[in-house]
Amino acid sequence: MKRLIISILGIATISLGLHVHAFDLSLDNLNVDKLMSIAKKTQDLKPVDDKGEFEIGSGVAANLLGAAPLVQDEKLQAYVNRLGWWLAIHTERPDIPWHFGVLDSDSVNAFAAPGGYVFVTRGLLLRMRNEAELAGVLSHEISHVLKRHHLQAIQKSAQTGLLADIASIAVSDSQHAELAQKAIGAGTELYSRGLDKDDEFEADRMGVVIAARAGYDPYGLPSVLQTLEAMNAQDSSLALMFKTHPAPQKRLELLDAAMGSSLDKYTSQPVVADRFVKVVGDYAKK
Amino acid sequence: MAAEDAATTLIATDIRQEPFIDAQVITNLPVNTSLNVLKRQGGWIQVKANSGEQGWLKMTSVRLGAGAGNNKGDSGFSSLFNVARSGRSGNTGVTVTTGVRGLSQEDLKNASPAPDAVKKMDAFPKGAKEAESFASAAKLQAQQVDYLVESKPIAEATKSFFGGSRK
Repeated sequence: MKRLIISILGIATISLGLHVHAFDLSLDNLNVDKLMSIAKKTQDLKPVDDKGEFEIGSGVAANLLGAAPLVQDEKLQAYVNRLGWWLAIHTERPDIPWHFGVLDSDSVNAFAAPGGYVFVTRGLLLRMRNEAELAGVLSHEISHVLKRHHLQAIQKSAQTGLLADIASIAVSDSQHAELAQKAIGAGTELYSRGLDKDDEFEADRMGVVIAARAGYDPYGLPSVLQTLEAMNAQDSSLALMFKTHPAPQKRLELLDAAMGSSLDKYTSQPVVADRFVKVVGDYAKK
Repeated sequence: MAAEDAATTLIATDIRQEPFIDAQVITNLPVNTSLNVLKRQGGWIQVKANSGEQGWLKMTSVRLGAGAGNNKGDSGFSSLFNVARSGRSGNTGVTVTTGVRGLSQEDLKNASPAPDAVKKMDAFPKGAKEAESFASAAKLQAQQVDYLVESKPIAEATKSFFGGSRK
């Protein structure tokens, strides 16, 4: 990233060189914001190929599952996967190997990992009331994968061409393994540190749309945010989520501003409470 | 009425005759007004104030629960699915004892990787075919919907309320 900005500064200085005398344009006067935004755009480009992304993603998922195992309930896992796939096929990455899982943890949270891994904790699942709410949460996580938010954060924290090196055929196998481990470690750390707030707001905005595309009432995600807002912020099951995400009320406020009334025509779409209550209730009764 | 049906206004807000932004205003409720939630429709909830006024307001202008200091403590949930709020069905009456299995920063740091668990996920149902029969069983119909553009809230005056709503 640093390297990138410096090289852009260099190019900009050269290309502006002719004007420097005329406008007395020193380096201080360069529009750094603009250069940063160019750098950001460059960064938005695919930072690693799909193969590298899946490799990092399954490594990060393995670390997460080491901390919180999958719920041992095939019916529940199958349900979440069918729902997740139904959402994913209405996005710009319908063909990647999506995997969905319910984590056996009472912590209230949801996670995504590069390459199509999406997880929701039983603690969050059991606080939902219908499929539209689950669809909203899964769609939020799917959006992180679509926008490669974690990969970009890994790239940013590495401050080197880590991901490019992973994708490069020029590195040896052992170097490759070492680099991949580094990226996987950085990716796992994001679950404690959190993504950029703007990435979370973007995933909220995309999440409601993906749920609406899949035929659900788009207000499922806002409903879950309301549930979180109504919970006691001191509740230990919320600690990690609240540390790593903007406050639910702030998310609701921004989501409301972005949605306006544009999705109102989809609010009569089903929330599918019956199936949700059946499947999740059967699991909860065990 | 159950505590879950209570709500409190986060901002001074108009309540309206119908769930539309241009519907007739019934009255303006001050911040921190206690309300009962009757039902929800889209981004709107129908509420009844203690003073008897009844109407619709945007769901984002309230905090659900009775006042700011809802003291549920660390015991977490006691009766899941009993949150029969805003006209939703979802009440299985299932009661689950409080869980203890957390997922903290420490847990993440100390975990050893579980690649076998990741492999197990390959056996889960996948693909468009599975998804489509899942959707049609619930009569879900796909729609073409564009992504939303970012938009800042208009009401600058509400900022301090929202900003101060959670420490």
